[in-house]
Amino acid sequence: MLTGCSEGGSKAGNDKNDKEQQENAARQQSSIPFGDDKDSQGPAPEVPGAKSGGAISVLARDSYAHLDPGQIYVQDEMAVSQLIHRGLTGYKATSDDGRKHEVVGDLATDPGTTTDGGKTWKFTLKDGIKWEDGSPITSKDVRHSVERLFAPFINQGPPYLQQWLADTPGADYRKLLPDGPYKGKHLPDTLLETPDDKTVVFKFKTARPDLPYALAMAGYAIVSQKGDTKTKYDRDPVAAGPYKIQEFKSGKSMTLVRNENWDPKTDPLRHQYADRFDISFNHQYEQSTKALLADNGKDKTAVSFSNSVDAGNLSKVLNDPKLKNRTVTGYQPYVGQMNINLSHPELKDIKIRQAIAHALPVTPFVRAYGGTDAMEVAGGILSPTVSGYDPAFDPWGKKKKPAGDPAKAKKLLEEAGKVGMKLTFGYINTPEGQQYSTAMAAGLEKAGFDVQRQEIPAETFYDQVSQLDNNYDIFHTAWGADWPSASTVIPPLYDGRAIAEGAQNYSQVNDPKINSEIDRISKITDPAKAAAEWGKLNEYIVKDVVNVVPTGYYKQVQIAGSKIGGLVYDDVISGVDPRRLYVK
Amino acid sequence: MTSPIDLEGGGTAAVTDGGPGAEKKKSEDPGLVGRSPGQLMWLRFRRDRTGVIAACVVGFYFLIALLAPVIAKLYGKNPYTVYADERPELFDSAGVPVQPNGGISAEFWFGLEPGNGYDVFTKLLYGIRTSLMISVAVTITVVLTGILLGVTAGYLGGKADYWISRVIDFLLAFPAQLFFIASMPVVVALFVHPRDETPTYVRVLALIIVQWFLGWMSLARILRGTTLALREREFIEAAKVSGAPPWRIIRKEILPNVVTPLLVQSTYLLPNFVTAEAGLSFLGVGIVEPTPDWGQMFSKASTELVMQNDITYMFFPGVSMIIFIVAFNLLGDSVRDAFDPKTAR
Repeated sequence: MLTGCSEGGSKAGNDKNDKEQQENAARQQSSIPFGDDKDSQGPAPEVPGAKSGGAISVLARDSYAHLDPGQIYVQDEMAVSQLIHRGLTGYKATSDDGRKHEVVGDLATDPGTTTDGGKTWKFTLKDGIKWEDGSPITSKDVRHSVERLFAPFINQGPPYLQQWLADTPGADYRKLLPDGPYKGKHLPDTLLETPDDKTVVFKFKTARPDLPYALAMAGYAIVSQKGDTKTKYDRDPVAAGPYKIQEFKSGKSMTLVRNENWDPKTDPLRHQYADRFDISFNHQYEQSTKALLADNGKDKTAVSFSNSVDAGNLSKVLNDPKLKNRTVTGYQPYVGQMNINLSHPELKDIKIRQAIAHALPVTPFVRAYGGTDAMEVAGGILSPTVSGYDPAFDPWGKKKKPAGDPAKAKKLLEEAGKVGMKLTFGYINTPEGQQYSTAMAAGLEKAGFDVQRQEIPAETFYDQVSQLDNNYDIFHTAWGADWPSASTVIPPLYDGRAIAEGAQNYSQVNDPKINSEIDRISKITDPAKAAAEWGKLNEYIVKDVVNVVPTGYYKQVQIAGSKIGGLVYDDVISGVDPRRLYVK
Repeated sequence: MTSPIDLEGGGTAAVTDGGPGAEKKKSEDPGLVGRSPGQLMWLRFRRDRTGVIAACVVGFYFLIALLAPVIAKLYGKNPYTVYADERPELFDSAGVPVQPNGGISAEFWFGLEPGNGYDVFTKLLYGIRTSLMISVAVTITVVLTGILLGVTAGYLGGKADYWISRVIDFLLAFPAQLFFIASMPVVVALFVHPRDETPTYVRVLALIIVQWFLGWMSLARILRGTTLALREREFIEAAKVSGAPPWRIIRKEILPNVVTPLLVQSTYLLPNFVTAEAGLSFLGVGIVEPTPDWGQMFSKASTELVMQNDITYMFFPGVSMIIFIVAFNLLGDSVRDAFDPKTAR
């Protein structure tokens, strides 16, 4: 009666994974280079076979809460801002698969020049760059964009540039310019100098070799001084990119149309193939996947910038050869890690932490997110998209024995004399969290731990685990790099001096060697050398400090309608690249 | 006092014979035999084939629920083993069993659960055990509360009746399902030490308390009505006149006479509690993984992972629950028919 009801799981072999590993190995240590002024010139190289015209439907899950560049720090908003906003610098894809990039000047003629190792950065604006109303973009706009980052209503975006200018960590930078530029005060020329309409000079007290990367973030795109409506800018920004907002109904839909004042000759990154983008919201992953799979009517020319294929449909999509040319896969910047709370006295014993690292099965985590197509077993805390990543690094044998090694763990636990010790495991109360936490607990119990699982509501999960005095011995978090450098991963997560209520040093590790290495490597101005050093520090943290156990590198699979051309997964955007899409 | 069943056998006799047939009709058997209402009920019930089959099915469920640990031991597995980690060769990387039909094999009779790969057979046994245990407990507490408050209100009347009835009205106005969902986490949080896992018995207790709190009113109302009618009957008055204390009257005169509605109602209530408990676990506020539970198996079955890759899984909790609920409701009908043959269906 029941035969033939279901076919069973996919039989994807290991050969595919091996190949991927090798590809990753090729990318090892290759940091994203800086282009020169020639690379920064427009127009962007043509996408093969691209045609002009047509409308592209975009299925999005969440309505855009923020469109003001200063407030943008979320992937879906970052993706759409690629079409609307422009910054001083940007990532230019140098290969057609969206995997190789270089940093070039976007509004600036080059990715910035420095003569003193990163303390002073000079940018020159291009000719012919205009806002959507036709007025020119000048250095005044750049100054205004930077100064308004200090205004109290800008509180969601990245904090790097502000902290660098103020030369202080945390939120102290706000004291530098408490009201932003709105009450007549401005940043002094000793920090930000705009001698003429075309020149912008940043001056830092400490060398900041990563500035061109930071300025390429959507959060540092330029805001029009004339068109600045403060908090209202969040709904209706002035566009500088190839598309402008025709209509935005929050929670329902948004229409982007061509910006006639955008000049392709000034832009090395973007195209303007489609006439319009019709974005509609509230499409859950299952729903967008089903619509795009069905490929009917308007969905033929549909795509989703940020929705991935849901876990349930994953093997179906990947095993259908007909879907191959409208499927893209790639890494997300996030790395999953099991934090071991070092503020708890019992966990200060390294043997116990090693036992946890040996015993913890990572297979439950991979399974819960849909298998190896959605999650790759991690060796270290640097993701394959970050320079300094080493695919061979695997100190706890997770790649060979992803289900853990309870025997070794038990031995260590016996040596420490703590068999049967209580371990409180705080897990995020989502379907995935429930699934992997039960199986992880079963794995840890095999090694002799007494695991106490505790659910934490998803909405407040990060608030609760980032409290200094929390009850959880172990808990799982994920962190994504803001640009492909370990300097946006290791310092915020593992700097012992950054331990604070609500900060991201979740494991509360305070190791003198980590701290001194962070200071040393931050000063290295050669990106390749710095990447190698960060890689070494990553190995020290994972192998010798064991305050976290890496679990997985997040990946995703996305599909588009059959009439969408130019579909590429961009590693930097970590999703479909919206700039090169066209209608076939 | 003729039941429909009696008519089938005795109806013809009434036509063939004349006068003596009327005598015969009253008691079927040649010699007049005195029977208690309980014996009569049992006799009628035994003749109802549907009822007997339903009773057997229900009995079977209770039996496997009781014997779940024994069966699991003989079968050699338990519902907590994560087979996706123990036997990775049986699963793909997403935790879907590689073999068709959810990995049904001679080793795993009902297959393996997609995700963590629990054994479906033992999980279902233990799931039934959990659900039935909770539902029986809720039914017992509800019946006790119903008797206490219903009979008190009906017998005492006056102010006591007024207040109890208003409380019943008030509680009946509560949206039960919403109340369950909202109050479950609160009740659970009342009991648990912040460093420990919520023990399963706390969740079970919370489920029982929450369902009991909004479950007893309909039964209490029926018992109140019945008691109210009984109170005015002559035998009660006779007992009062002869000086029996109220407690004795309730115990010896009233309670035996409300057994019928009590039994009938509780056979209807129990399957309701089973589905309500399953519903709560389905919504994620009842029993949670890894404790096996019927409703939680449904919520697993409704995930996209199972829907797209292993539809077979859904049959096991689904079919078993349908059979159980249908059988229990048929049993309820039969019990009612047996007690109260005059009510036409």
